Formats: sequence, structure tokens, C-alpha cells
Amino acid sequence: MKYVIIGAGIAGAQAAKTIREKDNAGEIVMISADTHVHSRCMLHKFIAGERDEKGLDFTEKDFFEKFNIDWKKGVRVEQVCPQQKEIILDNGEKVGYDKLLLANGADSFIPPVGELRKASNVYGLRNLSDAQAIVKEAQTAENVVVIGSGLVGLDAAYGLLERGKKITIVEMVDRILPVQLDVHAANAYQKLFENAGVRFVLGQKASEAVCEADGKIHKITLDNGEELACDIVIVAAGVRPSLACLEGSGIQCDRGITVDAGLKTSQPDIYAAGDITGLSGIWPNAANQGKIAGENMCGGAETYTDTYAIKNTINFFGLVTLCVGRIQEEEGDQIQIKEDKTQYKRIILKEGRVEGVLLQGDISHAGTWQYLIKNKIDVSKIEKNIFDINFADFYHVDEKGQYEWVS
Amino acid sequence: MKRIMIDYQKCDGCKNCSIACMQAHRETQGTVYDLDLTDPRNESRNRILKDADGQYKPLFCRHCDDPKCVESCMSGALYKDPESGHVFYDETRCGSCFMCVMNCPFGVIKPDAVTKSKVVKCDFCVNAGGEPSCVASCPKQAIYVEEV
Repeated sequence: MKYVIIGAGIAGAQAAKTIREKDNAGEIVMISADTHVHSRCMLHKFIAGERDEKGLDFTEKDFFEKFNIDWKKGVRVEQVCPQQKEIILDNGEKVGYDKLLLANGADSFIPPVGELRKASNVYGLRNLSDAQAIVKEAQTAENVVVIGSGLVGLDAAYGLLERGKKITIVEMVDRILPVQLDVHAANAYQKLFENAGVRFVLGQKASEAVCEADGKIHKITLDNGEELACDIVIVAAGVRPSLACLEGSGIQCDRGITVDAGLKTSQPDIYAAGDITGLSGIWPNAANQGKIAGENMCGGAETYTDTYAIKNTINFFGLVTLCVGRIQEEEGDQIQIKEDKTQYKRIILKEGRVEGVLLQGDISHAGTWQYLIKNKIDVSKIEKNIFDINFADFYHVDEKGQYEWVS
Repeated sequence: MKRIMIDYQKCDGCKNCSIACMQAHRETQGTVYDLDLTDPRNESRNRILKDADGQYKPLFCRHCDDPKCVESCMSGALYKDPESGHVFYDETRCGSCFMCVMNCPFGVIKPDAVTKSKVVKCDFCVNAGGEPSCVASCPKQAIYVEEV
């Protein structure tokens, strides 16, 4: 049996490991454009100079040797041909498969504003190659404009602060981290970044950006007419699943690749996992999908059920935040807030159920909140302060000593 | 694998297990008599919770068969050791993202109180011969090690 996996992110790596556990003899080939296995969540540490390429590797030691995986790196897939059961790489090589996993992730979305897509000093922050290019450009750059104040935009700024750059972050909405945080929690991070020298321009959009003779953008014009000088532009405006290589393959796609509960695509023996499915952009979910796809490629009948993806943790300047579920207040919500100088905690309750949790400063033992929210567990009968609810209220130990939730 | 089994009805909430854990993982030398309980660096990896009825419920890392903390670890710092079955944590690889805190369905893991740059997690007292200090200190046999 020959298994081919496209992509060396967590979904691909997890699938490869799972396949090897099930099938000792099968041939496993991994193909990636990336030349180093790396965790995208740590690219800011590379930009900051805190870690080198090797320090971003999330796999165990000697991963490819240990699990007997043939890794073809630095090559892209140009075409997937389900009829022939083969894929064609950008070096012309054809690779046949019995089972194929598409785990080639997503690409940074660069909005069609001015000449952002054409300029040579405009980067997303998605791949190690982006971070490497940013570091190189930063050697001579002074001013950096970051478009977007989500987690990726702030990551980029956080890394570049270590290199002493002057950073301006432009955000369409009137506050930072608008998807993850409420105003109070967002302000705390805004102050920390501002104290470190970052300038925010909120409630504004980039409206014009023109390449100069050197092929670079040196000035971004905003909606209000303000002009921001820049030597580097980092665009953190989301990602789109990498579907280009699927053109003409007959593999059904919507926002991402369409998959069934077993992560099978519309074509036989082809599976998909991770960001390319558009199901979730969250690491643990991608890992879980990789595992399930791997099992099923070996004949298993696993289903992807733990689909909940409205969850994030944030850590900048030692201020940690956890947010799960809904952030925006709706009619009929009961909002509970607990605040002192070390922490800010906000819970959204509706009809006896927790629909959103935001914890800043202290996130100790907070994993139970995700379980409560995603399983819509009724907490109205628990005679405790809402902030004191914990696993003790749902506690069960099975005969093997593992915990189980009962409610 | 060996797991710390829990008979919660025997727990009387004395918290000897928590003190033993703090003592086992303190950075300084010394005995339990000079263990500084007020030093935030001395954190216990276990915790005795109480439910709404006042019943004690010991919260100890299960070193789960399918550990959700490991699944969420984006740096490779958390891993399930194939030999012992225990979930270990390599602080030097940790990226301080705390997705493990978010993803443990039982709320076992927490960031360290002082630096907020690493997590506090049971290591089965592997550096003390793999005999968990908490178990040795329990006067009620509410926790005990068993091969599962």
C-alpha cells in the first residue's frame, strides 16, 4: 500500500504517524513546499531571532527516519489526477498513490488593494519562507506597516519589535483582536503594544498602495487620506485554503475541500485534513483531523466529531488570555464579570448555559470551559458562583482511572 | 501503563498530596519543614477540588490514553512517552501558547504563576524514581498507583 500525504504541517505529520502505527509495511511519502517542518504558531519567535529553523520543528526527534517516511521537500503539487491515481509535481515528477491525503493547508490572503499583490516587499505571515523573507527585508527596513490586528498581525509586530522596527498596525474595526476579545480585554493588549512603541490606526482601511521604481511599496494611503511610510508591509487579513492544484481534478470544493464525516473527499481514496478543508484554523483540530484521516486511510471508520473551533489562547508580554465561544453580547444574555488587578473574567450565560468565556490574566485550569460550552451543558442547577464551577461538578473516574464528564 | 487511581470518596481534603507535590518539585533544596508555601514558584501539580455539596474531588493528571493536551501542543513540548505511557513536558521546546490549558477537558493544566511562560503539569515524579510523591503522602489511600 502506498500512502501519499501532501503537506508537512500538523495534519500531515499526524496522519503519517497514525498510518505508520496501523501499517508497518506500507510506503509513506510526504510532499511539501516547506523545506523545514515548522509550527506556524511560532513564526514570530523566528522573526524575533529567539528561535532558528530547527527550533520551530514540532515533530519528535528523527521523525521521518523513525516512522520510515519518504519526505520530498521543496516541491509543490501542480495537479491531482484521481483517474490515474497520481499527482504531478512542479519538477515534472509524477507520484502514484493508493491513498492520498490533501493536507497542504492555506495561503495568506492579500486583498486587491492598490498594488499590494504586485509589490516585492509585501508579505503574509504563514510559512517559514515568509518569516525568512521578512527577516531579510528587515535588515535594511525601518518602518513596517501591518494590515490587520488579529493574532497573525500582532504576532508579526511582536517579532519585529525585537528587531527595533517602527511599527504601525492598521485595523478596519475600531479595536484590536475584534474576533477574539471584547473591548476591555483588547484594550489591555493595545496598551502593552503601545508601551512597546507600536502605533495603532483603528477604524481605517488601506485604500491605495503604489509600487515605486524599485518594485516596492513605500507608502500606504488610508481611507482618511493619511499616508503611512513603509519599507515592509505585512498583510494579516486571513487565509484561503490552497485549492489551486485541484483544478480539473473533479474534487468537490466549497470554501475548502468538501469532506464527509470520515474526512473523505468526493473522489475515491482521497482524503483531506487541516486548513485546506476550511473546517477550522485551529491547531488541535487539524491534529485531530490528521489522526482521523490517517486511521481511515488504513481502513478505519473514525469520524471527525470534535469540531468546535471558536477557541483561542493569546500570550503577549506575559499577559495570557483564553477565549472560547461567543464574544459579542446578544439580547437575553446574562453577563457575569469578575475583575481585580490581576485578572479580568467575563462569562456569557444564556438560558442556563455558558455560551462564551473570556479569561485574561489567569487562565489556570480553564480547559473545562471549552467542554461546557461546546457540549451546551446546563449549569443552572449547580449552586455555586459561576466562576467557581469546575470539573468537580461533573466528576467521574472510570475503571481504568480515566476521567469522564457526567452531567 | 501505571496510573494514579483515585477513590475520591476516601479523600478528606487534607491536601497532603499537594504539599508533597510542591516539595517534590521545588527548585531549592530542603525538607518539607522549610518549604515556602507562600512562594508562587512552589506550585502543586495536583489540586483538590470541591463540588457544590462540599465533596472533595481530587484533580490529578490522568496521562490520558488519548491526551488532548498533546494533540493541542504546537511546539512538540508535550508528548506521550511510548514506553511508560506517561505524558511528559519538555519545557525547553514549549512555545508558551497555552493551547494545552484550553484543551484539557478536565482543567488539569495551568500556566506557571510567576513567568507565565511554561505550564505546570504532573511528571509522575520521574526524577524521583517514578514513585509519585502525592501517592506516598496520602493517609487515606484515596490515591494509589495501579497498572492499567
